[in-house]
Amino acid sequence: MALDMLSDVVQRCQALPVDSYTKEDHDVFMTAGRTCIEEGNSVQVLSIILDEKNQDMVSCMGWNLLPALIQVLLKKEDNLPQCLGIFNHLLETCRPKELLIGLLELLEQDDPDTIAESLHLLLNPLQKVLLRLGSRKASSLGMALSTVLDQLAKLPLPHTKEQEEDDVFSLCRCCTDLTTFVRPFVQEVRLNLLTSEELSESTTKMTIGRDNDREDELRTELLKFCMKTLSYPLFEVQLKDTDSLAVSPLRNFATEILNTLSAIRESITSLVYQPLLKRKQVPGFLEEEVRYPQESLASVAHLVFVHHLAADVFPCVFSPVFSLRCNMEHVCPLLSRREETRIQKGLELYEKSLVRVEDGSLPVDLMEIKTFLTLPQNLVKVMTMCQRQDLRSKGLKVFQLSIDKFDTEAKHKFFQYMLKTSHHSGVEGYIIKNIRNQINVALQSGDGNTWFQGVHLLPLLRKVLILPDGPETDLLENLDRLMESLNLLRYLIIRDKVTENQTGIWTELYKIEDTFMKPLRVGLNMSRAHYERELHNTMDTKRSKDKEESKISVLVGGENLPHVTSESQIQVCHCLMLKSCSCHIYLHLYGINDGQTLMCLLRLYTQLYTRLT
Amino acid sequence: MKMTAEEQTSEGQHTIPMEGEDITPKKDGGVLKLVKREGTGTEFPMTGDKVFVHYVGTFVDGTQFDSSRGGGDKFSFELGKGQVILAWDIGVATMKAGELCQFICRPEYAYGSAGSPPKIPPNATLIFEVELFDFRGEDITENEDGGIIHRIITKGQGYSKPNEGASVEVTVVGTCEGRVFDERELKFEIGDGESLGLPPGVEKAIMAMEQGEEALFTMKPKYGFGIEGNVKYNIPGGAILQYKINLAAFEKAKESWEMNTDEKLEQSSLVKEKGTQYFKEGKYKQASVQYKRIVSWLEHESGLSEENEKKAKALRLAAHLNLAMCFLKLQEPGLALENCDKALQLDAANEKALFRRGEAQFGMKEFDKARDDFQRVIQLYPANKAAKSQVLLCQKHIKEQHEKDKRIYANMFQRFAERDSKKEAVKVAGDSKQNGDGDEMEVESREKESASEEKA
Repeated sequence: MALDMLSDVVQRCQALPVDSYTKEDHDVFMTAGRTCIEEGNSVQVLSIILDEKNQDMVSCMGWNLLPALIQVLLKKEDNLPQCLGIFNHLLETCRPKELLIGLLELLEQDDPDTIAESLHLLLNPLQKVLLRLGSRKASSLGMALSTVLDQLAKLPLPHTKEQEEDDVFSLCRCCTDLTTFVRPFVQEVRLNLLTSEELSESTTKMTIGRDNDREDELRTELLKFCMKTLSYPLFEVQLKDTDSLAVSPLRNFATEILNTLSAIRESITSLVYQPLLKRKQVPGFLEEEVRYPQESLASVAHLVFVHHLAADVFPCVFSPVFSLRCNMEHVCPLLSRREETRIQKGLELYEKSLVRVEDGSLPVDLMEIKTFLTLPQNLVKVMTMCQRQDLRSKGLKVFQLSIDKFDTEAKHKFFQYMLKTSHHSGVEGYIIKNIRNQINVALQSGDGNTWFQGVHLLPLLRKVLILPDGPETDLLENLDRLMESLNLLRYLIIRDKVTENQTGIWTELYKIEDTFMKPLRVGLNMSRAHYERELHNTMDTKRSKDKEESKISVLVGGENLPHVTSESQIQVCHCLMLKSCSCHIYLHLYGINDGQTLMCLLRLYTQLYTRLT
Repeated sequence: MKMTAEEQTSEGQHTIPMEGEDITPKKDGGVLKLVKREGTGTEFPMTGDKVFVHYVGTFVDGTQFDSSRGGGDKFSFELGKGQVILAWDIGVATMKAGELCQFICRPEYAYGSAGSPPKIPPNATLIFEVELFDFRGEDITENEDGGIIHRIITKGQGYSKPNEGASVEVTVVGTCEGRVFDERELKFEIGDGESLGLPPGVEKAIMAMEQGEEALFTMKPKYGFGIEGNVKYNIPGGAILQYKINLAAFEKAKESWEMNTDEKLEQSSLVKEKGTQYFKEGKYKQASVQYKRIVSWLEHESGLSEENEKKAKALRLAAHLNLAMCFLKLQEPGLALENCDKALQLDAANEKALFRRGEAQFGMKEFDKARDDFQRVIQLYPANKAAKSQVLLCQKHIKEQHEKDKRIYANMFQRFAERDSKKEAVKVAGDSKQNGDGDEMEVESREKESASEEKA
């Protein structure tokens, strides 16, 4: 039935001149043709399509058959060879514009399995059609690439090594297909750039005419494509190194994208160093606001410095400090992001850039650069607030690494800055511990390191040995900081002799008494009284409500600890009192001059401390 | 020197002899230079110059690890700014254009004990063959239009440069066609240069310098005295100027984190007065820079005592009100509006804030909103006569606008009718044609609209 209708309409149209077919002819050809293919009569359809007499008609209407054909091809039904024959013939005879639209429509799928299958099936035909468009293809290529990337974004990303090897959702295969897809266009741009270069070398620049502009468009589309892929999927996936995965399709894809950039004369070097070298923002394209999105540039830097891709084109003459400065510009915004993948990439890039720098070599001048101040702030947020524990500890590791790279003067300034800006007791405690280490190094080496002894050290000590809000300071919230401060004080008193006073601590003590010790004692007494009362109350409540075993909430440092049984509440209070005690013992240390009592108290303190922790 | 280099890599197989002149300032043999072909130029590149080179890098055993000669572009960088390894900053500065030479660089002058993964292992001695093609001064203009070329005679220190409002101590020597026309020692704040008879380019130049730097700037007329020239200095129109500037010292405004609350309050008061001074002189741009500093210092300051809180609030309010005024004068109603809103957040019934917001709305042709603000002023402060006349002015504009709208819409309906009848007539034409037609119509009517707007 459908076959008859198809033959009829074909015969009628043979008599008509091209482009004078009616709308009805179109409709009949389409429905009948599709039904024939769906019903398995593709042999007959193939012979009609191939018939010499029908070529005008096919070139005009043939693209209507694409949906039916693709369905068969995707499902791999019996009449596959005939359908493939029809498909290939259509690709050669139909008008490329119509084919392009038809194919792009078919690409847009929603089911992950079909997405990958259609990409695999259609990329090659799409490439043929685009190539048939000749010199008018730039915007069509742009449209195609944008559709393809939208499709790609719907596929789940492989996370583990096994997932990448098995390629369950075929993302890896799609990336490989995509590389093959863009290759001829990249090649075309490359050759054009070569010839236009030769032209401009042999003649004056006057000859740059229309031809050149058009080639620029093709290059622009490829650049946009690279920038997009760099940010997704490449900045989203965790690439595996050669050690863990010898053959990685995703790593190859990244390599190909970087190669593409080089081929279209986008220097990888200038992309990486753009934040420091470009004074002016490069104007964007019509549809994209920026030509070089921040994240895509960070992605290039990450591929180069963390995965060592593009090593053959990346110059080996840049100084490590320059690379660090530049990469910090990439890292800083990443660390303020919420997405853990971004934070992770930021930390990796920062770590790799720091490792290249010699310890103790970064001068204090660098602190004049804003990023050297804002990046640590962002890093502190990662260390204290990131959801993932591994990222928090990696953050801390990188933070320490960054401290190690500063010279002593820069360390001194950095510690001051962090004490003033971090607003986090744990971080402040960590900085104070670092200060103690630096004093220790200074006292041991005696190499004229003036920043952690005497005159320079005192301003730093004054920032450490104070209670921010006097006796009312929340001791519990500031516990980390306080313990490290007391630790530092103890260290100074034991290590520095009164007669030598290298650190200046002995002449400073009377001030510390006023700014630190007295308010701390008052504060401790206040908090101990508070906990004793709390303990007392809890005991009372426990006695009265013993049977109910009720759940009471405890307020610790302004934070509600939910569902604490009265039993553990009592434990908490005991523990807090003990901590107060240990602080007290610390306090006694400083006023004591005879060594015996000192050692005795120290031992007591150590015991208490181990019981607490 | 030859000895040390060989000692250091005694295990390696040398295909390249370790020889050349020690060019390090310390004379520690860290960089050995061997000229392979003399240059043709007469001068050396200066610090900060952009230099263009080709190079081939090899290890001591002759293995090549890097090269710019693979058919690609020449490699370029800014000399003496720490962009490249130390050996290069030292080495390239000794070359002349056209020169080809070899540098043997010890690790301390290259990648040290860390190396540069993946290609350079730790503690590697590197050998570079470098050819210098060209070099030129850095162009410091924003548009990179070649308007101000910067060449450093003596490098300064640090990474910070004077910013807007920084106080600077400089020596300037202005030359035009070989004649010195201006030679002075000056102490001023960036932004005041014009009143001292300095062309705009000089301030831009100073802002590109480091502390202690001495540099030579070549300025096109656009950044110099323009096409008018300068009578006092006897500079003809369209003259290219040269300035030799020595930035002896400068003080940058402290960063917010470096100041405590008292400092911030104290500085804010000072800066406010400075802003008012500029404002009185009609320098609204400079005045706004000062007021903005107050906002940046005090906006996020928290945990203040009651007394300080009061002071901070008063300063912020004044800053926003004055900023609004500056922006009104500078014809930036959008920014003025923003500041009025901030001021009203601090004091919801502030007379000046309401009045200025009215003016800003007026400037943005939002006559309805402007009228509302002015009416609110009258309601709260019946004595404000200016607001009354502003309300009248607004009403006049609203009426005009209303009538203009009427005309446009009347016109539009007529056009729609015409289009419909036309559509009927051409219905025979194909789909695509019709669409195109529709598009055209829309463009046309839009053009009409804007034309009538201009007339009104």
